[in-house]
Amino acid sequence: MAEQKTAEAEALMSAYLDEQLAPEEAARVEKMLAESPEAREEMSGLQKMLNLVKGLPEVEAPPDFYEKVAKKIRRRRYLRGENLWLLTLPFQVLSVVLILVVAVTYMLLHLDSNPSGQLEKDPTVVPPPAENPAQDPAAASP
Amino acid sequence: MSRVTDPDLRAPPSPRVEALIAEVVEPDEPEPAPSPADNANLTPEQREEAARRAEQDRRDRRLVRRLKEGDERAFQELVQTYQNRIFGLMLRMISNRQEAEDLAQEVFIIVYRAIGSYRGEGRFYTWLYRIASNTCKNRIKYLKGRNFHRSVEIDETPQAQLPASEGGSIVTLQSQVPGPEAAAEGTRMEKVIQRELAALDPEHRLLIVLRDIQGLTYQDIIRITGLQEGTLKSRLHRARLALKERLQPYMR
Repeated sequence: MAEQKTAEAEALMSAYLDEQLAPEEAARVEKMLAESPEAREEMSGLQKMLNLVKGLPEVEAPPDFYEKVAKKIRRRRYLRGENLWLLTLPFQVLSVVLILVVAVTYMLLHLDSNPSGQLEKDPTVVPPPAENPAQDPAAASP
Repeated sequence: MSRVTDPDLRAPPSPRVEALIAEVVEPDEPEPAPSPADNANLTPEQREEAARRAEQDRRDRRLVRRLKEGDERAFQELVQTYQNRIFGLMLRMISNRQEAEDLAQEVFIIVYRAIGSYRGEGRFYTWLYRIASNTCKNRIKYLKGRNFHRSVEIDETPQAQLPASEGGSIVTLQSQVPGPEAAAEGTRMEKVIQRELAALDPEHRLLIVLRDIQGLTYQDIIRITGLQEGTLKSRLHRARLALKERLQPYMR
């Protein structure tokens, strides 16, 4: 029980340093400080640490901070909704051109590698008679 | 002064932006005005501080009203009023200048997009800080997931790493005797504090930064973090003890 009370009073130390305690709470901390050298040592350490931390220099944002924020807002607004098609237009054109180039290249290569494949043979069509009689054995016989 | 209006401010945000805003923006809640009895108990300095804050709040309210009407100049004034504090908060929390700058910019972009959801019932200042601390916590979680190593610019000279007992460091940021040596010592100690601060748990770090570095009142911190007063007192004490422990070798 006594330990719990001491722990509670210790937890009040920071608030005591910040002058954030009600008078009766402050009195509890002061009593503890008067009775305990360890508490006094801890309080002194806390005070030293606070002096260090509170002495840190103030930080300043870069001078062009607002301009960068405004630029980001403009850029995001541009990327949103209504202007998106404008941004993607070059890519759309490029995609169509690329597809056309690939298709034409494929067709040209295909024709080059298989020239006979360009006409399909219809089996029902009778081939025309040979025009050179020397090469036709039926026409050569009497 | 010319008035630049932005119709986009009055348009509802896109669903993606709405989702982002919902993550970090909480509605402002009414804050009780100090009673005459409270004012009577204040010291002259505290009364002066209260008057300064009240004037700042009135100015913020005017700027927010203009911003809601689409006046970008009002936004610029708001950013310039709070940029150092928000950038400072981010730098002390993240310990990386570029990351802190990006995050601070992100906070103001969210404010710009979410200003419609600020009802004007609480102080703009605490609403802004709530967005900043939520954004910062989300970022720390994200960076932790990606195993991001904080890049605190630490003085790597052997002497800077020595504790005070071995003649390595100092107890004050600036020596009583001014001069380049004192300035160098101050810079070195600042780096040590920043490094030890960065090693704390983010919740503890936030309380130290808000209270001890930026000097916010307990009431403001309660509104920003949503902690109960008792929880704030005990958690702040634990945070200070943890930092004291880490800085002990450098104090004499």
